[in-house]
Amino acid sequence: MKKHIFWTIERALLLLVSLIVLFPIFWMFLTSLKRPRDAYSISLNFKPTLDNFAMVFAEPWNLGSMVLNSAIVAGVTVLISVPCASLAAYSFSRFRVKGRKILFFMVLSTQFIPAVVIVLPFFLMFRSLGLLDTRIALIIVNLAIVTPFVIWMIKGFIDAIPVDSEEAAMIDGASRLRVIRDIVLPMAAPGILTSSIFCFILTWNEFLFSLILTRRDAVTLPVGLVSFRTERGDLWELMSAAGVMITVPIFIMAMIIQKHFTRGMTAGAIK
Amino acid sequence: MTEVRLVDIEKRYGGFLALPKQSLTIEAGEFLVLLGPSGCGKTTTMRMIAGLEDITSGDVLIDNDRVNDKPPKDRDIAMVFQNYGLYPHMTVAQNIGYPLKLRGISKAECTARVLEIAEKVELEELLKRRPSELSGGQRQRVALARAIIRTPKIFLMDEPLSNLDAKLRVTMRAELKHLHHELGVTTIYVTHDQMEAMTLATRIAVMREGRIVQLDTPKKIYSEPVDLFVAGFIGSPSMNLIKGEVENGFFVAKGVKIPVQFSDRCDVVLGVRPEDLEIVERQRANIMAPVYALELTGDATLVTIKDGATSICVRGPADFEANIDEVCHIAPRKPEKLHLFDKSTGERLNS
Repeated sequence: MKKHIFWTIERALLLLVSLIVLFPIFWMFLTSLKRPRDAYSISLNFKPTLDNFAMVFAEPWNLGSMVLNSAIVAGVTVLISVPCASLAAYSFSRFRVKGRKILFFMVLSTQFIPAVVIVLPFFLMFRSLGLLDTRIALIIVNLAIVTPFVIWMIKGFIDAIPVDSEEAAMIDGASRLRVIRDIVLPMAAPGILTSSIFCFILTWNEFLFSLILTRRDAVTLPVGLVSFRTERGDLWELMSAAGVMITVPIFIMAMIIQKHFTRGMTAGAIK
Repeated sequence: MTEVRLVDIEKRYGGFLALPKQSLTIEAGEFLVLLGPSGCGKTTTMRMIAGLEDITSGDVLIDNDRVNDKPPKDRDIAMVFQNYGLYPHMTVAQNIGYPLKLRGISKAECTARVLEIAEKVELEELLKRRPSELSGGQRQRVALARAIIRTPKIFLMDEPLSNLDAKLRVTMRAELKHLHHELGVTTIYVTHDQMEAMTLATRIAVMREGRIVQLDTPKKIYSEPVDLFVAGFIGSPSMNLIKGEVENGFFVAKGVKIPVQFSDRCDVVLGVRPEDLEIVERQRANIMAPVYALELTGDATLVTIKDGATSICVRGPADFEANIDEVCHIAPRKPEKLHLFDKSTGERLNS
């Protein structure tokens, strides 16, 4: 009986939390389907329209180029970061090199520095390199932010792979690289996939550096969202439509990796 | 056939000396068992031969070829691991065929060889399964098949039977022995199970704290253990070790007075195996003590008698009957089956 009550309370609380978290997202979806005059109304009785989506992709908002920027920056960051991080994670996991712990700590310690502290030096550096408002600059910055985290995450997965299989492969006649290709990567694949998507999401949502380092050409979606605050006021229905465009890909990805996601989050921590 | 020589090898982990300097020659075609309690360095020794562990100093020679700096893949060895070391993402067939795949052998030939080997270890029904869908014994056979699919110079086996249940262990033991007979490949086998060592080995190296204390045939190790450690480690039930002293041609302890060919000496341990003792009538008895426990094993009765700190086990006939605390009379069968050891150093005193 006691257990039953506890269970009911637990469920009720979970439902409440879900509602609190999901309601704004739900409301954003609704607003994206509303006409401007309905945007401030709290009535659910309105005629839905897709005009807002057509508007944000047209001039002057040009959301399409922002989607492209975001996709390229996030995609290239993943493509460079994950292979490098996988090799680094393997090394940290397997080779008993002197100073390994300090090195690993140094990699992680980059995550302790607040972004605001380094955004200005980055701005100055890229300005003198002539890379301001380019995707390359964003990719470089995102690599620096994301790679240590991905190393840490993938290391957790590789740590969980028994060394036995690797040693068996080496004795069967495989070189170290062959072992990584034939044994480690296939076994760590779910973890690496999870880390890749995680890395993509982090980069996709990155705001501060994009805001400071881009102006017109390389603007990404989260920064683009700000441009809907105009002299005519906040264009909520357009902002919501853009918000949906930001959310949907992440939402789909999160669904794909849902199963591995919590494992990925805790893999490093359990060790 | 291949000879393996370990010359003055030593292994240190930082400041910790895991294996002190020693040499060992494993003769061509031999089945050598490294036997010892856990942490005695037997697995480390094997891993150094395999190339999975660096050698601090000394040389490993395989067919007179120094392999210290060769990676495992170039040593032409096959190994069966305690936890099998299978590739969980591959099917049984892929697991077995992996060594051939690495050697660039054609797919058709590979498939044919896998089938041939699978039949040999009775796995042909399971080729499409993954290791996670197999029982312990089946996994064991996959690991074995993967090791024998190519004929390596040496087989290394690291406690390959320790994860199997008792019955399966006996069956697999016989299979391993037959396999060695059939292939004639030099085999090094690590175990802490003295029974496995006795049944499989051509020679046994008994190890303790990194050192090989006795290297000999199973028969010799059983009948002439060099010290108390080997005496107590080999044999089940283990050898009776009785603390006492030699006085006027008799070994004396509480309830024990046995004639021995040895000069007077204090602090001696007498070793005698349960099967080298017999239950006798009162007049002939050298040992007298109350019965502590009776254990029927089927073909015999193990009788434990206890007097104070001295506890002695004797293998009596299956139909032997006695009450607990009833005094039992015991005598050694043959005087040459008595072993005397120094109590403090553990060394054997008589030869």
